[in-house]
Amino acid sequence: MATTRFLEWCGRLYIWLLLAFLYLPIIIMALMSFNVSPFYQLPFEWTTEWYASLWQNDQLISATWNSIKIAIISTIIATVLGSAASLALYRHEFRGKKVLQALLFPPIAIPWLITGTAMLIFFFGVGIGRGLFAILLGHVALALPYVIVVVSARLQTFAPELEEAARSLGANQWQVTSRVTLPWIMPGVIAGGLFAFAVSFDQFVVSYFLSTPGQTTLPVEIYAAIRKGFTPEINAVSTIIIVVSMALMLLTARFFKFGGEK
Amino acid sequence: MAGVQVANLSRSFGAHKALDDVSIDFADGGFYALLGPSGSGKTTLLRQIAGFDFPDSGRIAIGGEGVERVPVEKRRIGMVFQNYALFPNMSVADNVGFGLSVRRQAKATIAGEVQRALDLVQLGKLGGRRPHQLSGGQRQRVALARAIVTKPRVLLLDEPLGALDKALRVDMQIELKRIQREIGITTIFVTHDQEEALTMSDRIGILRDGRLVQEGPPEEIYDRPKSEFAATFLGDANIFRGETTGAGIRLPDGTAIAAGAGATLAAGTKASCAVRPERIRIATDSGTPDPNANLLRGQVSKRIFAGSNSTYFVDRDGQTLKVIVQNTGVERLAEGQEVVLRWSPESTVLIAAG
Amino acid sequence: MAGQVATGSRSGLRSALPLLLPAYLWLTVAIFLPLSAMVFFSFMTELPLSGKAWSFTLDNYATFFSQGLYWTLLLASLRLGLEVTLWCVVIGYPAAYVLAKVLRGRSREAIFLLVILPFWSNGLVRIFSWAMVLREGGILDTALNAVLPFKINIDLMYSYPAVIIGLVHSYVPYMVLTCYLTLQAIDDSLIEAGRSLGASRLQMLKRVIIPLSMPGLVAGAALIFVPVVGSFMEPRILGGRTGTFYGTVIEDQFVAVFNWPLGAALSFILLAVVLVILALASPVLRRAA
Repeated sequence: MATTRFLEWCGRLYIWLLLAFLYLPIIIMALMSFNVSPFYQLPFEWTTEWYASLWQNDQLISATWNSIKIAIISTIIATVLGSAASLALYRHEFRGKKVLQALLFPPIAIPWLITGTAMLIFFFGVGIGRGLFAILLGHVALALPYVIVVVSARLQTFAPELEEAARSLGANQWQVTSRVTLPWIMPGVIAGGLFAFAVSFDQFVVSYFLSTPGQTTLPVEIYAAIRKGFTPEINAVSTIIIVVSMALMLLTARFFKFGGEK
Repeated sequence: MAGVQVANLSRSFGAHKALDDVSIDFADGGFYALLGPSGSGKTTLLRQIAGFDFPDSGRIAIGGEGVERVPVEKRRIGMVFQNYALFPNMSVADNVGFGLSVRRQAKATIAGEVQRALDLVQLGKLGGRRPHQLSGGQRQRVALARAIVTKPRVLLLDEPLGALDKALRVDMQIELKRIQREIGITTIFVTHDQEEALTMSDRIGILRDGRLVQEGPPEEIYDRPKSEFAATFLGDANIFRGETTGAGIRLPDGTAIAAGAGATLAAGTKASCAVRPERIRIATDSGTPDPNANLLRGQVSKRIFAGSNSTYFVDRDGQTLKVIVQNTGVERLAEGQEVVLRWSPESTVLIAAG
Repeated sequence: MAGQVATGSRSGLRSALPLLLPAYLWLTVAIFLPLSAMVFFSFMTELPLSGKAWSFTLDNYATFFSQGLYWTLLLASLRLGLEVTLWCVVIGYPAAYVLAKVLRGRSREAIFLLVILPFWSNGLVRIFSWAMVLREGGILDTALNAVLPFKINIDLMYSYPAVIIGLVHSYVPYMVLTCYLTLQAIDDSLIEAGRSLGASRLQMLKRVIIPLSMPGLVAGAALIFVPVVGSFMEPRILGGRTGTFYGTVIEDQFVAVFNWPLGAALSFILLAVVLVILALASPVLRRAA
């Protein structure tokens, strides 16, 4: 069984090479954000001046606030509406249910370039125009399918007799939902909410088409800055973003098993 | 506490008639079993009485009050589910107290009632546990305590012992019966286990294809089945088919079988006779002839030893008859042996051809 | 019988509607109506909002079919999608196999999470991080020159390979995820049974494992190919002047040239291509479900 050993060893090595490929650029970017040279020259000299100068950049700061506000609001809206829809899809049988479930996939599967430009055209046509409200509209719509898929997955593990048992004990619809169903699906709802936050906070394409110079989000602001030319400040803010979004997903993983049950 | 009356109840799902004109009277304080194969409508009937589903036509009354359009949460029933359906996010005490808590009773009242219910099912010390920390039998008791703590008018059990292993099931049968007697609640339980139905209930209703086939005390149904289905579904039976002579039937080969019980039928119509395997005596010779007894000759084709008794399969004129004999150690018949079967007309039930 | 019971008194669309309506109304306003509006606009000469006179026309589509440029760019984008997808299969499938069949227990969980974690972080920032590595005088250049005895100039920045590298980096976790899900569903005893029948490792891979994990491969390929064909930010940042693709032309129509009707027509053509691809993949995906 020496070959088996050897093959397994190769497999492990391969995974670590893949991880290096995935993480090296990110790590280098993070390191460079602490380097004195604005042209990313070596040798490396430690500084936090780029992070300090972020605080002077009003444009970045206001875009950051916009990103956070929009992410929080769209998370709340998408989680509430999405969980409600999941419950309805779980509890009731009706014609067209399959169609409604299938309709969740276009927002996920169609490239954001198409969705984003379509939103731009439509919002302009009906007078909503561009700006933070339009961005919020778009972000909630993009996050909703994720919430519904995640919460529905959790509901699949819920035994319908539990709701029946609660009703047989005299609980009304609201008591059944709040005291039996919601506690059970809560991990799914939290995971769905974290997904929604990540979708919104990291969203670039749709925000890009819907933003105006004063009303923009952090990724859009970073894109503009990159196209003007690289600066270590962008490294610094990018590093912050990537740390935040990865932390968010680690948190999500606590509530949602990506790899399925085994 | 209250009796339950079901009258002319029908319910269809699409083209499938799940319940077809079913009427049963469940007397106050009785213990009823609804017995039938899967798909017979017994669970549908239970869910109609519970109020999870409403009938297409017919009436359901609990304690004389018509409830067929009252939703489950307003019916004041208690129900125990097949897989217990204990709320996994709550402790045992919170599970049992749920029904009282949704009725907004005071915390102290709830705690007292919960303790009394848990004591009744002999789980007084386990209130703080979570459902997943309990054994199957304990979960069963918690589900029962939860169902009766609200003082429901009727207790409904859906295959309550189905998920337990054999030994535990027998314990729980006795336990369930004790608790039911103690609180005197009208109890209706669904089962496909005929032994469970026979040992536990005061009355049994047998359902088939959405219809009530027969209803009555266990002894009556066992001793006086009104259809071949009832005879073979509840216990084992040998069925003979032929033409009635008035006092029995005549088989196609001319053999007469006298029946001392069952339907009164006009001579000449098609009918059958049912005989329980344990009522038949088996011997190698004719012995002392009893002029009244039914008598048939056959050949042992197979013998199955089951400890306290043995089952003989006896071939006769294209039919295989089943005979169960207590193992007294006196006599063992070999396969292939010619035998004489004898049984009294009183053990023979005449059934109209269905 | 349980299914029949569920169709009882409480069910039906009417009772589901109050909970369903808000979510689907939102999706209608922000996704489905916009997509319809896009189709509508693609047949117009001018934006109706700009005050200018407008009328219906097929010119926008005629432009696409008559000007070789758009065709060429669409083909270039499709080729880009194909190449990136292939690289993701080549890199991602073995990784998924190792995760599903070699690693065990907690280390599997942890490494799996590490692999898919970048996927859920900001794509723009990750693309940007490659600029740091690939540019002249960047990390790759400096590191190689420090090791090698002779002087070479690595300047992959603003080139086609840079775009490929960036996109593969962005999308390979998707392939690992979908393949891992199907691979881990394959019972290990199946592999043992095959081996006990005398099949070699390679035969098992070819005749059992790859066919069984096909749904994961197809799902991953569709989920990578589709967005890559529509990518514009990645080619812009890493491709520079060589990074003109179909997606960047659409972007231009909306943010630089302001020819929205043409942009809408180009978007709609892309949508049609995407739908065809998803339709082709769906039989395999349905088999997986």
